[in-house]
Amino acid sequence: MSETTNLLVSRHLKNPNKTSLTPYIFILLPIAYLTLVMFWPLLQEIVISFKDTKLMEPNGGEFVGFENYRRLLANNELSSSVWITILYTATTVVSSLVLGVISALALDIPFRGRTVARSVMLFGYAVPSVAAILVWSWMFNDRSGVLNSIADGLGMTSQKWLTSPELALWSVTMVTVWQVTPLVMLVVLAALQSVPSEVKEAAQIDGADGLNVLRSVTIPHIRPSITLVGLLVTVWTIRRFEVVYLLTGGGPSKSTNILVVGLRQTAFENYHLGEAAVFGVIGLILAIILVTASELLKKMRDL
Amino acid sequence: MIRRSVRTIAAAIALALGAVGLSACESDGNYSGKTTLVLMNSQWMDALRGDKLWAVMEKYEKVNPKVVLEKSEVPSKDIQTKLPTELGAKLGPDVMMLQEPLFWVVRDALLPLDEATAEANNLNATNDGAQVEGRQLGVSWQRAAYGLVFNRKLLNEAGVEPPETVDELITAAHEVQSETGAIGFTSRHQMNEFDNWYKDFMNWTAGYGGQWATQGQLTIDSPHNIAAVEAFKKLYDADVIPYGDDFPTQRNRFKSGDVGFSIDNSGGTLNMATGSKVSSDVGASRLPFPSPGSHQQIYLALNKNMDGEKQRAALDFVQWLLTDDAQQALRSASGPDLLATDVPLDPKFAKKNPWAQNFYEAAADSSGTVIEGYELETAQIMRPVMDAVERVLTKNADPRKELEKAQEEATGLVG
Repeated sequence: MSETTNLLVSRHLKNPNKTSLTPYIFILLPIAYLTLVMFWPLLQEIVISFKDTKLMEPNGGEFVGFENYRRLLANNELSSSVWITILYTATTVVSSLVLGVISALALDIPFRGRTVARSVMLFGYAVPSVAAILVWSWMFNDRSGVLNSIADGLGMTSQKWLTSPELALWSVTMVTVWQVTPLVMLVVLAALQSVPSEVKEAAQIDGADGLNVLRSVTIPHIRPSITLVGLLVTVWTIRRFEVVYLLTGGGPSKSTNILVVGLRQTAFENYHLGEAAVFGVIGLILAIILVTASELLKKMRDL
Repeated sequence: MIRRSVRTIAAAIALALGAVGLSACESDGNYSGKTTLVLMNSQWMDALRGDKLWAVMEKYEKVNPKVVLEKSEVPSKDIQTKLPTELGAKLGPDVMMLQEPLFWVVRDALLPLDEATAEANNLNATNDGAQVEGRQLGVSWQRAAYGLVFNRKLLNEAGVEPPETVDELITAAHEVQSETGAIGFTSRHQMNEFDNWYKDFMNWTAGYGGQWATQGQLTIDSPHNIAAVEAFKKLYDADVIPYGDDFPTQRNRFKSGDVGFSIDNSGGTLNMATGSKVSSDVGASRLPFPSPGSHQQIYLALNKNMDGEKQRAALDFVQWLLTDDAQQALRSASGPDLLATDVPLDPKFAKKNPWAQNFYEAAADSSGTVIEGYELETAQIMRPVMDAVERVLTKNADPRKELEKAQEEATGLVG
C-alpha cells in the first residue's frame, strides 16, 4: 500500500465520523467522464428537441417550444413508434428472460457435453451483430430462405417473414431474442453457480421435490440477477437499432418503425435534428419510467 | 516516488504531444511544402472501378506536383449520415463526389466553382443541375442512366425477346421462370433500401410521364403517378420478383446467371457484366415504359471551409478535371456513364460491352432523382410516397387513395 493510502486510511480510522473526501475524489473522474460523454449530450438532446435545429446547422435553430412534439404527435408517427417500441421491447424481454432462465437451468444440470452445449448456446451473443443479421435476412428470404424451405418440407404455407406487415415485427423480435437470450442465460447461470448446495440439500432432506426446490430455493436466490438482467435487456432493447434497421428499415408499412429508426430517419432523411431529438427524449422517458417502475416493484417486494 | 511518477507522466505527455505535432505536420503536407487535398468518394472502394478512377486522379499530381491527393473512402450508405454532420461542424473532406439529393442538402457548405468553369466551353447539360442561384456549385462527375437489363442466354432458352411494355415484361419473366427455372425479374421492393428504392422507383413514374411536383406544387397523386404505381403493383403481384432479397443479393443472383430481367443503372450493370459468369450474355434495352426513365447523377463539389491555399489548389484541380485529357482518362475508368463533357464511349469498351450504348443514349433524355422545386426535401417527400407504395404492394391498398394520402402527408411536411 502506498504512503498516501496509508495516511488516508489512518486518518479515517482516527476520526471515522468525519466525512472523508476520498470517495468523492475517486468518483470525480467517472463523473467528469459521464458528464462529458453522456449527461452533456443528453442535456443538449433535450434542449434541441425544443428548437428547429437542422442537420447542416447543428448549433443553430430557434426555440420553438413544444412545436416539434406537436407536429410529430399530430401525424400519429410518434405515438405509433412508441407503441411499436413498447411491443417490441416487452416481447423481447419476456421471451429472452423465459428462454434464458430455462436454458440456464438446463445447462446447470451436469450432463455429458455440457461445455460444448454452453458454447453453442452462446453463439448468438458472440457472433458480430451485423453478420448475424445478414445471415438471418437470407434465412428469412421468401423464395430461397431456409425457414420457408422447412415450412414447405412440413407441408405448411411459405411465409413473407419480412415483407408482410403482420409478420415483420415478430420476425425482427425473433432475431433480437436469439441475440439477447445467451446473455440472460450467462448471467442466470452465474447466479445458479452461487446457490448454496447445502440449502438445496437441506430442502431435499425436508422432503421438497425438484419443483419445490426450484420455487423455494433456487428462484429466490437468482431473482436479483434476473431482475438486473431484465432491466438491462429492457434498456438495450429500447435503444436497439441495427436489427430492425438492417432487416426491415422500419417497414413494411411502418410496422417495425421503432423509436430509434424514426430518430435516424428524421435526422438523416428529413435533416431535422429538432424533431429527431424528440424521438430520443421519448425513448429516454420510456427507459426512465421502466427503470423507476422496476425499482419501485423491488422496494415493494422488499417491504 | 510520487514526484518520480509525475516526472515520468510529464515526459510521456511531452513525447506524445511531440509525436502528435509531427504527425500533424506530415498529414497536412506543410512539412513538405505541399498542399494536401482530401477527396471523398464511395467509388474508391468499388472493387471494379475504384483503382482505375483513383489512377486518373493521380495524374493531377504529375500536372501539379505541389498538390498531394488523399483518398477518403466512405461507403455510399454512410455518406448521407457522415457528410452533412461533418460539413455542419465546418469540417469534412476538401473534394466530394455527391449523389444529386445529397448535393442539394449540403449546398450551403459548397464553394462556387465559377472560377474553375469559366474557361471551360465544353461542359454538357449534365452540369446544369448543379447551378444554384446562378452559381456553379458542382460539376458532373458521372451520370448513370437506367435500362432494362437481361440475360440473353436465358431469354434465348425461354424463346422471348426484350419486352417493350410492362405487360410484355411480365409475360417474358414468366416464360423465363417456367422454361429455365431462373428468377424472372429483380427490383428493389423493400423499405430497408429506401434511399435507393425511391431513386429506382422514379423510373416508373418518369416512365409513365409523371412528376412529383410541377410549378412549385406537389403532384404526388397525379394520374400518371397512379398509373406507375398500378403498373409496379401488377409486376409485384406476378410472382416473378425474389421477395425479401436485398438488391446486392439480387445483383449477385444476376451475376450467377439466375435472373432473366432487371431494371438497373449503368454502374450496377457494369458491375454485373464484368468478370462474371454472364459477362458475354448481358444485354440491355430501353425501359419498358411509354416515356424515358431516370438517372442517378453524381456531382463533384468543393468544401467552402478550406483555407485560401487549399481553395486555389482545389479550383485548379477542377479546372484540370474538365480538360480533354482528364475527361478522356476518366472515360476509360467510368464505363458507360455520361461525364461533364461529351466524351464518346471507348470503342474497345463498347465492343466488349454491347449493352453500354443503350445506357449512354438513355442518359440524354432521362430525368434526375431530385424533385424540382423541392430539391432539399426530396427524401422527406419520398418517404410518405414509398410508404404508400409499400402499402399498395403488401396490403393491397388502393393506389389512388394511398397516393392522395401521401400527397396530404408530404404537403404537411414541406408545405
